[in-house]
Amino acid sequence: MKRIILAGCLILATVFASVAQETFPRNDVRDERVEAYALINGTVVVDYQTTIANATLLIKEGKVVQVGAGITIPKGYIIIDLKGNYVYPSIIDPFTNYGLPTEKHKRGKSPWSNAEQIQTTTKGAFNSNQAIKAEYSAASKFSVDAKTAKSLRAQGFGAVLTYRADGLARGTGALVTLSTDRANEVLLNEHATANYSFTKGSSTQLYPISTMGFIAVLRQTYLDANWYKAQSPRPFKDISLEHWILSQSLPQVFDANSWLNALRADKLGDEFGVQYIIKGGGDEYQRINEIKATGAQFIIPINYPKAYEVDDPFEAKDVSLAKMKHWELAPTNPGVLAANGVSFAFTAKGLKSAKDYLPNVRKAIENGLSEQAALKAMTYTPAAMLNATNQLGGLQKGKIANFIITSKPIFEKKSSILENWVQGTRYEFKPLEKVDFEGKYNLAVGSTQFKLEVSGKAGHQSAKIVINDTTNIKLKSKFGEDLVEFNYSPQEVEGLVRLSGWTTDNGWEGKGQLVDGSWINWTATKTGDLDPKEEKEKDKKEEEKPALGEMIYPFVAHGNIEVPKTETVLLKNATLWTNETEGILEQTDILLMNGKISKIGKNLSASGAKVIDATGKHVTSGIIDEHSHIGASSINDIATNSGMVRIGDVLNPTDYNIYNALAGGVTAIQILHGSANPIGGQSALIKLRWGASPEEMKIKGADGYIKFALGENVKRSRNSNSIRFPQTRMGVEQVYMDAFSSAVEYGKKWSSYNGLSRKAKVGALAPRRDLAMETMLEIINKERFISCHSYVQSEINMLMKVADQFDFKVNTFTHILEGYKVADKMKAHGVGASTFSDWWAYKWEVRYAIPYNAAIMHNAGVIVAINSDDAEMGRRLNQEAAKSVKYGGMSQEDAWKMVTLNPAKLLHLDTRMGSLKVGKDADVVVWSNNPLSVYTKVETTIIDGVIYFDAQKDADMDQWIEKERARLIQKMKATKKGGGKMQKSHGMIPKSFHCDDLTVDLNTLNQ
Amino acid sequence: MKNFLYTFILVFSASAVMAQLPQPAEPQPNAILLKGGIAHLGNGKVIQNSLIGFDEGKITLVGDATRSKIDVAGYTVIDITGQHVYPGFILPNSSLGLEEVSAVRATRDANETGQLKPHIRSLVAYNTDSKIPPTLRYNGILVAETTPMGGRISGTSSVMNLEGWNWEDAVLKADVGVHMSWPSKMGGHFDFSTFTWIREPNKKYDSQVEELVSFFDDAKSYLESSSKERNLKMEAMTGLFDGSKILYIRANSAKEIVQAVRFGQEKGVQKIVILAGTEALDAASFLAENKIPVILPNVHSLPSSDEVVELPYELAGLLTKAGVTIALSHNGMLARARNLPFYAGTAAAYGLGKEEAVQAITLNAAKVLGIDSEVGSLEEGKRATLFVSKGDALDMMTNNLTHAYIDGKTIQLEGEQQALYKQYSDKYAND
Repeated sequence: MKRIILAGCLILATVFASVAQETFPRNDVRDERVEAYALINGTVVVDYQTTIANATLLIKEGKVVQVGAGITIPKGYIIIDLKGNYVYPSIIDPFTNYGLPTEKHKRGKSPWSNAEQIQTTTKGAFNSNQAIKAEYSAASKFSVDAKTAKSLRAQGFGAVLTYRADGLARGTGALVTLSTDRANEVLLNEHATANYSFTKGSSTQLYPISTMGFIAVLRQTYLDANWYKAQSPRPFKDISLEHWILSQSLPQVFDANSWLNALRADKLGDEFGVQYIIKGGGDEYQRINEIKATGAQFIIPINYPKAYEVDDPFEAKDVSLAKMKHWELAPTNPGVLAANGVSFAFTAKGLKSAKDYLPNVRKAIENGLSEQAALKAMTYTPAAMLNATNQLGGLQKGKIANFIITSKPIFEKKSSILENWVQGTRYEFKPLEKVDFEGKYNLAVGSTQFKLEVSGKAGHQSAKIVINDTTNIKLKSKFGEDLVEFNYSPQEVEGLVRLSGWTTDNGWEGKGQLVDGSWINWTATKTGDLDPKEEKEKDKKEEEKPALGEMIYPFVAHGNIEVPKTETVLLKNATLWTNETEGILEQTDILLMNGKISKIGKNLSASGAKVIDATGKHVTSGIIDEHSHIGASSINDIATNSGMVRIGDVLNPTDYNIYNALAGGVTAIQILHGSANPIGGQSALIKLRWGASPEEMKIKGADGYIKFALGENVKRSRNSNSIRFPQTRMGVEQVYMDAFSSAVEYGKKWSSYNGLSRKAKVGALAPRRDLAMETMLEIINKERFISCHSYVQSEINMLMKVADQFDFKVNTFTHILEGYKVADKMKAHGVGASTFSDWWAYKWEVRYAIPYNAAIMHNAGVIVAINSDDAEMGRRLNQEAAKSVKYGGMSQEDAWKMVTLNPAKLLHLDTRMGSLKVGKDADVVVWSNNPLSVYTKVETTIIDGVIYFDAQKDADMDQWIEKERARLIQKMKATKKGGGKMQKSHGMIPKSFHCDDLTVDLNTLNQ
Repeated sequence: MKNFLYTFILVFSASAVMAQLPQPAEPQPNAILLKGGIAHLGNGKVIQNSLIGFDEGKITLVGDATRSKIDVAGYTVIDITGQHVYPGFILPNSSLGLEEVSAVRATRDANETGQLKPHIRSLVAYNTDSKIPPTLRYNGILVAETTPMGGRISGTSSVMNLEGWNWEDAVLKADVGVHMSWPSKMGGHFDFSTFTWIREPNKKYDSQVEELVSFFDDAKSYLESSSKERNLKMEAMTGLFDGSKILYIRANSAKEIVQAVRFGQEKGVQKIVILAGTEALDAASFLAENKIPVILPNVHSLPSSDEVVELPYELAGLLTKAGVTIALSHNGMLARARNLPFYAGTAAAYGLGKEEAVQAITLNAAKVLGIDSEVGSLEEGKRATLFVSKGDALDMMTNNLTHAYIDGKTIQLEGEQQALYKQYSDKYAND
C-alpha cells in the first residue's frame, strides 16, 4: 500500500512539474523541448554500492530513464560521449540555509545589567517561549540564490536541505535542488525536516539561558503539545504548537554540535519517543561507544581544525593538549564512525568554503574511511535521512537526474568535476574530452629530423625536442582538438621557428616558417609511448599510514589511555580514620574488593591483591563536597522557579577540575544549581569517575536534590535595573508560598484524575503536566530534598517556617553563614548545614559571617559539612575542615567528618559512603600525613576500588603530556613546512563556576 | 514603651559587641622578654630555645637560651616555652583598608578612575577602622601594603601596621612604590557559550607600551628640568629614579616580564619588583640574573588544564631554587587574605621548606616592600613587630596566637568575630 502511495506521489510530482510551467504566463511562442540525453561510454556509479563500466545513462525531462551497459539508445536522444569520465549521483547537503533570507538579530541584552524580559515579544498567537519557533517554514521564505547555487554546483552538490538556524525549535526545513529554475521547480519537499537545537537564537526572552534550561523548555513543549493536541476544541490558539504537532512525523533533526550535546539530545528524544537525526560536531570519535549507543543517524561536519602556530614555545603553551590532539584526530572521525556502524551524512556546514568539502572527504579517506562509506555519506545517507531516496542519492530509473561528471574517480586527488547536472539541466565547468597527445614523436621540419616528446595531463600538455639525455629544447605549444601551434628556438641560430598545423591519424602536419622566413612543410608522427616514470618513492610515501596519537579518556590533559578498572587493593599498616566508633586505628590494614571495603584489621592478606605499603600514611574515606559546580556545562538558569532544570542533563566529564579534585582526595560531589533564583534547578550527585561518560558519573540510586536560594542573589541585587520578582526577602517568601500551594493544587488535580476508573479516564482530559510543579510536589512528598543557599538568619528562619506549613523539612542550608545565630532552631527543625570555613565580607549579607560558624552549629547538634562552591577550594577541603580546629577548637576527628561523613549524611549517602566501614563503597584516600595538616599530600584516590589518582602515575602522566605535546608540535611544524594552513595559538582558558555565575549563551543569541 | 525597650536592647547589645572591638594599643610600657619559644627568625634560621627581648618598640635581644648566660635584667619575662615566635607576617599588594564589602560600591575605594595615576595615594584612604585587619592579625599578619588597583599605572602604595587610631598612626612607610600593569600581548574576550576566556593578540600592545615609554621619559625630563610648572603625576614618578620608590610591575607572560624589566632598567628605575604567577618560571633565569624579586599570587590557585596539577603549590619552591627572591601575596576575596600563613604552609610542603616559607611572608616580603631594615626578621634593632603562636603558625590546625606586638605595643587579638563566637556559644550553653 505504502509503495503505491509513493509511486502515486512520484507520478503526480512528474506531471505537476510540467503543469507548473504551464501556469505561468508566456511572452513568446511555446518552446517545450524534448530534453533527452544519452550519456555513453562513461563509468557510472549508480549508487554508493553499484558501479557500471562503459555504461549508458538515459535522461529525459530531468529524470533517469534507464542506466546500464549495452542499452540501445532510443531515437531522439542527444548523445554525449563520456569515454574516460565518471558519473556520480551528486552530493546532497542535509544541513544548509541555502536560499533563505539572511536575518540580523539584535543582540539579546545581558541579564546582568538590564531589565529582564519575562514574556515573549513575538507578535501573534505563538508560543509562550520566544525560542519555540516551530511555526517557521523554510519553504515559505525560500528563493533561488543563483550565485550560491553556482558555487555549490561547482563543488558537486545537487540538492540541499535548507532550514533556518534560529531558536530551540526551528520549524521545518525544505528540500531543494540547486538548479537555477523557478523556485516552483527546485522545491522538492516543502516540509522535509523539523529542526531543533540547544541555542535560543534570536529570542530575547529571559528564560532559558543555559543548556539545561534549553532541555527543560523542549521537554515542557513536548508535554504541552501532547496536552494541547488532546483537546478539541483547543484550550487556546498556539500556532507554534500546532506546527510542532504537525511536524512530528517528519525527520527530526537536532543541531547538537558536539558529542556531549549529541548524548543530551538523544536522551531528550528517548523520553518522548523521538529518534533525532543528530548534527554532530566532528568530535564523535572521542566518545564513540556512547555515540553508537544513541542509535541515531548523524550529520557530520568535516571542518577539521587547522594546525596551530607553535614556533614560539611560550606561546605554544596557549594551545592545550586536547586542541592539539583534536587537530590530529579530527580527520579520523568519519572513519571511526563508519567502523562502528554509525550511519552518517556529511555536511559542508562549518567549512569556510564548499571548495574544502571534497578535499576534506579525501582526508577522511586517508585517515581510515572507505571510499564506499564516503560516497554513501555524500549521497545515499542524506537522501535516506530526508526520506528522499525515491528522488535522490542514486541514479536508478525514475530518480531525478542529479549527477556529476568527473575526470577521474572522484576520490583521486587530481579528479576534477567537469559537469554537474541538476534535474536534467546541464551545468558545464570544463570540456569533457581533452585529446591526449602524450607520447614520442618523430618531428620533421623541412629536412631536419627531431625527437619530440609530449607529456602532461590532457588539456595541460607540453612538448619538448630531445637532443640527447641532458639537452632538451622546450617548445611553446598550443594543442587543440583539431589545430596545433609550435614555436621553438633552434640551437644553431637566434630566433624562432614557428609551426602551425592540424591533427592527423597519428600526429600532426602543417606548414611553418624558419628563422630566416623561409616556408617549409612539417610533420610529427607518433612513434610510441613515453618511458614509464619511476614512481616507487611516491608509492612508498602513500603507503605510509599517518602515525596517530592515542585516544585519551576524557579527551583532555591527564585523561587516561586506558580507563582504569576496579582492583583488589590491600593497604597495609595504615593509620585509618574510620569515622566510626573505632575512631582512628593505628597500623591497620584495609582490603578493598569488588568496589567495596571488604575487610579492616591487622595482618590481612588477599590473593591477587595490589598491596600498597601504607606504613606511616593516613587512610581515610574519600572527601565528599556537598556544594560543587565542577563537572557541568552550565550552572544557572534564571526563571524565578527553575525547578524544572536539571544539572544531571548537562554533566561535563571532561572538566579538568574533576582531576584536580581527585588529586585533592575528593571522591563524590553534589553539583548544585546556581543561586540566581529562589527555586533553582535539580542537582546531580556524581562520583569523580575520571574518564567515564556523563551517565556513568552519576551515583545510582541517590536521592534527588534541588537548589534553593535566598537573599541578595535571588533579589538580583547586583543588577540595579532588574525588574524580576522577587526584589525583596518579603517577596522571596511569597515565591515559596506560591510554589508550594500551587503544587498542592496541582497534586490534587492529578490525584483526582488518577483516581478515575479506566473507563472514565478515556473521556477525561489529563491535567497539563508541569515540570516545575512536579518538582515542587516531589519536595512536599519528601521525594526530593532542598539544599538552600542562605546567609542571614531571618531568611533561614523563614524557609524553615514555610517548610513547616507544608509539612516537610528543609534538608540542608548551604553557605548558611549566619547559621550560628539560629543553630538551635535549625537543630529543632532537623536541617543540616554545609558551610564555608572562613569566607566573609564579600557582600553585604555576609558581613557577620564568622569562621566559628561550623563549630557553633556543630556544638548545637546540627550536622555540619564544609563545602567548596569553588573548584580551587574543592581540591583542598581537608585544609578547610582543619580551620575548625583553629576556629572553635573542634576535635580533629569531628573536623574531618565535616568533609566526609557529614556531607554523606546530608546527601543521604552515609549508608554507602563517608566512613571506613566494611561493606561501604571503596572510596578511599591515602594521605602522606595527617589529612588535616597543611603539609599533607594525597598519594592515592580510589573510587569503587578503582585507582583514579595516583601520585606516581600523575608524575608519569605529566611526562607523557610533555612528550605528546612535543610530538604534535613537531608534526604541526612539518605541516607548516608542507604548506598546510595554520591558525594562531589563541588560548582558551576555561573558567570555573561559582554559585553566582550566569552561564548566558550570549553568542548564540546572534546565530 | 515597647519601642523604647527595643531601642534599649539594641543599644545595649550593640555596645556589648563594641566592647569586644579591638582598641588601638598603648605604646610599649616596659621591656618584655619572650622566653623559651621556638624562634623562627624570618631569615631562614631557627632558635629552638630562644630569648627574644624588646623595649620601646624595638627588638633589643635575640638569643639562644641554652647558650652562655644573657643578661635579662629589666625585662618583664613571659614564658612561652614550647610555643613558636615569628616576626609579624607581611601581606604585600592588598587593597586592605580601601575595601570593606566588595559587592557594595560605596565601600570600595581601591580603584580610582583613569589609566596613568601614580599621584593616587592609598595612604590617605586607608581605613584603620576596617573590620578586616583584626581578622588578619588574628592569624599573624601584622603588616600590609595597601595598594591602589586598576588602570595602567594604578597609584602609589604605602605600608601599614595593622594597628593605630588613624592612618598617620598606622603608617609604617608612606608611598613605598608605584604599581603598574605591563600591557598584555594577549587580549581577549569572554565567550559565554563555552564559559571560556578566548585569548587573542592585543592589537594595542605597541601603542600601550609607547604610552608608558613617553610617560616615563616625561617624568625623567620633569625631574631633571629646573624650571617647570608643578605636575602632580610627574612628581609622583620622580622617586622611581632616585631609588626612594619601588616600581611594581604586573606582567602576564615570560616575554612581558622580560620586556617590563628591560623597560624599567632602560628608563633608569632603581628598584623593580615583578608581580607574576607561573609565567615567572619561564623567565626564572632572567629574573635571577637581574636580581628582580617576584611577588606571587595565591598559592592556593588552580593550574591550567595541561599544567602539573600541583604547579601553583610548587611555584614558590621552584622559583626559589632557581635563585629568584619571592614573596607571597593574596588576590581575590580580600577577607581571605588571612590565609597568607597557610599559603606559606602549602608552599613549604611542596618544595619550599618550612623556614624558607616563613621567610617568604616575612623577610622577603619586607625586602620587596623596601622595609627590611625595619621589620621582617627577629633581629636586634628592628621594630618589635612579632607574635607568638601555640603551634606551627603555617598550619591552620595549629596557628593559634597567644601574643602579638606591633612596634612593641601589645595587640588585642580577639575581635568582633571572636565576640560573636562567645556571644552565641554562651546563648546555646545557657539555653
